[in-house]
Amino acid sequence: MNVIQGSDSGSMSAPGIDWKRLDPTGTKRRSNKSIKVVAIVLFFIAGFGFLLFKGLGNALQYFYTAQQAVQMRATLGSSTFRLEGVVVPGTIKTNATGVDFSVRFASAVVPVVEVGVPPQLFQPNVPVVVVGHFAGQVFQSDQIMIKHSSNYVAAHPNRIKNAGGGS
Amino acid sequence: MNRSGVLVRLIGLLAIIGIVGTYWMGLVVTPPDVFQGNLVRLVYLHPPVAWVAYLAYGVTSLASIAFLWKRTRNLKWDRLAASSAEVGVLFTGLTLVTGSIWGRPTWGVWWTWDARLTTTALLFLLYLGYLAIRRIPGDRYKVGTRSAVAGLVAFIDVPIVHQSVVWWKTLHQGATVLNPSLSPKIHGEMAWTLLLGFVSFTLLYVWFTIKRYQVASMTDELEDVEVDRMIRERLESDGGVLSGGAPRAESNFVDGGSLK
Repeated sequence: MNVIQGSDSGSMSAPGIDWKRLDPTGTKRRSNKSIKVVAIVLFFIAGFGFLLFKGLGNALQYFYTAQQAVQMRATLGSSTFRLEGVVVPGTIKTNATGVDFSVRFASAVVPVVEVGVPPQLFQPNVPVVVVGHFAGQVFQSDQIMIKHSSNYVAAHPNRIKNAGGGS
Repeated sequence: MNRSGVLVRLIGLLAIIGIVGTYWMGLVVTPPDVFQGNLVRLVYLHPPVAWVAYLAYGVTSLASIAFLWKRTRNLKWDRLAASSAEVGVLFTGLTLVTGSIWGRPTWGVWWTWDARLTTTALLFLLYLGYLAIRRIPGDRYKVGTRSAVAGLVAFIDVPIVHQSVVWWKTLHQGATVLNPSLSPKIHGEMAWTLLLGFVSFTLLYVWFTIKRYQVASMTDELEDVEVDRMIRERLESDGGVLSGGAPRAESNFVDGGSLK
């Protein structure tokens, strides 16, 4: 359509003619479309970038181990961060507002004061990530997350064998 | 029904039987986990669903390469890339939902911004973006080229998602089967159920993708028929105007008859 129009007017008029003015609809539609494509691409790059910096930037340093946190205590101050460690057996004390316990990573032990109910899998010797901040000697937390492993072991490996009571 | 139709039905049937079998094995036959108890049963659903998302995007990437490569350039590759990506987005959504449902009772949270979860959310958005780019109108080959490039760019995130639990500290656990040491950390009937889950959901993916591909082919065909019909109608009415010297209404009538 545009080509026919262009060649028709070309044969009739002098060279060096302003094509954009002769055929405004075609050119305009085309540039509008490419602007739309560029806008959409930019939108997704912006969204990608936002997620990368806001989400992933936070995600890459998802937690400090208890050892790192103890070393960085001065710089961390009372800022909120995630602390990882294994729940030390024998330290769990439930009280009215929540639960007190200690987490350990390597040789570093951090006492935690948790306000709120811990998740159902909370128990001694399980790795946890607690969210909160240092308050004096203890880590004041308001959220416990259980960091379970990817090992799956049957709770009763002999259940089926014994079920029949056979040999 | 032809032979390939029978095959597609068979794949669908096997997928459904396999999934029912996975549910039965996962909910009834397998024992509870020593640590997670009955919550472990989500392991037979969540990883297979996530695997299908990876697989779907892998197929989209291969089809995109085939489309971009001049010697194999064919619209059928573009249709396959699109169909597979659509199924992939569905399964990425299911991965996020089943993961969230699993995370709440085990971790204690529905969501957390760790590297695995964040990169998976990103994956979901990237391929939603891919599907959006596909809808920008244009010539089919142009749309195909544009989409193929977008699909290949989006695929960069797939290995990042898989390796995120190795590269960074995450709340999410590592891989049970496809871990760096390639030693499965699940055994016995639990492992067999997991395998059945992987096979069944892969069959479901194949079935969905073939069906979606067929719909895409039919849509294209319908569009072609529609365009042909419009061109023919246009030619017929133009022919009426051009060939007759008499007034318009009359010539249309006369030539309309002569064309038949």
